[in-house]
Formats: sequence, C-alpha cells, structure tokens
Amino acid sequence: MRLAEVERGDTLRHRLLIRMISRFAGYRLPDAARVAFYDRDFAGRALGEWTNRAMRGPSAWSVSERELMAATVATWNECPFCVGAHRAVAVLGMDDAVAAAVLVDYRTAPISDRLRAALAFLDRMTNDPDDLGGDDVRAALDAGLSVDDVRDAAAVGAVFNIITRNANALDFEIPSPGDFARAATMLLRRGYG
Amino acid sequence: MSKDASHHDLAERLRAQARSVGAGAPGVNAGAVDAGAGQPSDLTEPYRMLAEQVGRASFRVTDAHVDAVRDAVGSDQAAFEIVMAASVGAGLRRWDAAMRAIEEAGDAAR
Repeated sequence: MRLAEVERGDTLRHRLLIRMISRFAGYRLPDAARVAFYDRDFAGRALGEWTNRAMRGPSAWSVSERELMAATVATWNECPFCVGAHRAVAVLGMDDAVAAAVLVDYRTAPISDRLRAALAFLDRMTNDPDDLGGDDVRAALDAGLSVDDVRDAAAVGAVFNIITRNANALDFEIPSPGDFARAATMLLRRGYG
Repeated sequence: MSKDASHHDLAERLRAQARSVGAGAPGVNAGAVDAGAGQPSDLTEPYRMLAEQVGRASFRVTDAHVDAVRDAVGSDQAAFEIVMAASVGAGLRRWDAAMRAIEEAGDAAR
C-alpha cells in the first residue's frame, strides 16, 4: 500500500478494528477493506453504498455473475488484486473452470448468451467508452437483456472502473490464493456497505 | 441508504462527494475528477500527472507519482482523495456513457 496512513487506519477506532479483524480472521485484512474504512466522509461511504447496491442489491444478475463481471473489468484494467478478490467470490456460486474461461475470453467461454452480451457491453464501456452507443444497448437487448439488466451491469462496470484504479494506484498488497478464498467468504456474507 | 436506492441517485451522490473540497486545497479534488475522466482541468503538477495516469492506465502509476503528490499536499489524506477523485472521474465517465447509450437506444425505438 502506497499511503501508510491508509494501511494503518485514520482513527483509533479504525486502527483497532483493522487489528482485531486481522487477528480473528487469521489473515491480513485486505487493502480494499482498509480503503473502505479510510476517510469515509469524503467519497468512501458513497462509493461503498453504490457498490453494495450494484453487487448485492435487487438485480436479475446473480451475485456470482456480478462478481464475475467485476473480475472481468479488473482483467481489462490490469488489476491483479481485484481479479483475485472477485473471482474468488464468483466461484463460490459457479464452476471455477467457467470463471477461468471468461477471464481468458468471454466471447468463447461456456456461458449464457445474456451474460456474454452483458460482458460485451462492459468491454466497450470499459475499453472504449467514447464509442459506446445505442447499437451496443440494442445488441444487448437482442440477446435477451432488459434495459434494467443493462443498467445493473453498467453499475457494476462503473464501480469497478473506480475500485480497480484505486487498487492499482495505491498498490494493494496481493493476498495468497488461500487468503483470497477466506476473504471471499466474508465478502459474500457481509457485502460492501 | 438502502440496497433499493437507484443507481442514478447513488452515482450523483458519489460525483458530488468526489468533487468536494475534502482535506486538500479548494478545486483540487474536482480537478482530479475531471482529469481522471480525460477532460480538461486546471490541475497543476504534480496532481495533474497522477490524476491523468489514474484515469488512463492506473497500473502504470508509480511510487514517484504518489510520493510527489503526498509531498506537495502534506498529508496522506489529501493524496488519497486525489487518487479517489481521479478514479471516480474515470468510472463516472463510463457510467455517463452507458446512460447516454441507453437513452439513445430508447430514442431510436420510439
């Protein structure tokens, strides 16, 4: 982590909380959680609430599908922390081989046409936002998505285009595969709020 | 705010928070939102270089980018807010593009 105070915590309460959670969980509290605790009155609380709405709120997309969308956005943004963290949550509800195939190339992975269309939309939105247009939405609708489905997927894309940048710019420490898996169980249970 | 709140409301709240003054000098966080979104901004160095890099290719941000901003603003908190603001700018640029695309698709269908 590039900023020591973010890693340590900005209040006594947060510093104690970080130490306590790490001790009880048995692994170093991931940097994403430390960022979520830090300077919450600036943008952290608002980002956490939108992230929780996008990832755990009402949606036709399953939690695993949303987590896989997050991991895929992280792949495009070259964020190894977020790929590991969100793939680990996704595979709690889907086949690991399917998740792996999506992260290599969603266009050829064994997934539904609906999910493939959502990922194609997120691909354009993430990598070429100035060229995103009505045709991209119509392609998604033709594949069976509703406008709400497109909007819900876009919200996942938006928050993970933020979170991946925070993670990369602050140089989040990468946990071991075992610690990613342990943290995923907590993230699935507790959400992002 | 509940899990049923609209994406629109949550996005606008985040936009307003990220543009707020926070721990640094007035205008710097708002400038970082704009620079992170790839828009023109009044940011000076070293803030501009960090905010633009976060928006364009965050995996290429270096210790030197962050250290220069940390030294210039004098606190981890103000430096953190510039990173956060630039990231929010990049994410909301894409959210705005998605909402325009949905509107465009709806207009064409009418």
